[in-house]
Amino acid sequence: MLPGVPSLIPFLTHTRWRFVFTDMGWRWLVGEIDVPRPRQNGLLEQGLHILVPAGSALVAGELENRVDGAEPIGQEYRTQNYLRRIVALTGATQSGNSYVLDVGKTEFSVRNGYVRRLRDVTDPKCKYEETCFYSAYKGMPKAKQIATVLLQLTNNPALFDKWAAQSGAYKADGQVFTSAQ
Amino acid sequence: MTAKIQTFSSHGDTTLLEYDPATADMDEVNRVIAEYEAKTGAQPFDMATGERIKKITSEQREVLMVHPIAGG
Repeated sequence: MLPGVPSLIPFLTHTRWRFVFTDMGWRWLVGEIDVPRPRQNGLLEQGLHILVPAGSALVAGELENRVDGAEPIGQEYRTQNYLRRIVALTGATQSGNSYVLDVGKTEFSVRNGYVRRLRDVTDPKCKYEETCFYSAYKGMPKAKQIATVLLQLTNNPALFDKWAAQSGAYKADGQVFTSAQ
Repeated sequence: MTAKIQTFSSHGDTTLLEYDPATADMDEVNRVIAEYEAKTGAQPFDMATGERIKKITSEQREVLMVHPIAGG
């Protein structure tokens, strides 16, 4: 054995352990900074992840449609996306199961089949009025009916009075619609 | 770039028309839409602004035909 070699053994051993621990440290570090990914068990879950942003909520009643088989899951989520787009377009805000829409001094609150109006939000004596609504197009999902009402009220708030009169279906411009047309 | 005219339906979203706005005959597009409105009462809304439109132009890329609503 060469002279001096025994004195090198502790040094080499220490250096080797440093490499091992340093290497593990890198692995742990990489593990810690790895971007957390949502658990994805299958295509459906991946689809939900893409189509339903965090914090979004389903409109009450849409699940009933799915149970009835009226609207398959993919379509249902497209419907929700449409509703979200129209809520953003009209400047409405979601409050529980309702969508609150301000048109001038008037506040509308739209929920499944019902719309409520506060004609003048600046008048403390002003009371809420409520009417129900439904689409002239039979079988339209509830979220799409809400989206339709939001679009129509934003453009023509006087439609509320026509719906409240319960005198038939009205087009977005306020003209009466009969199926014979 | 294509433009689409869609409507809500019970079976999902139905594309009524898809065309290239740069080359399409917009009079023909409006004629088809007028026929659809006469049959269903649906009227066109610009999905970029949320506004109802009387006549579709080559500016609109996505139009939604909105069906009538009844009170009850």
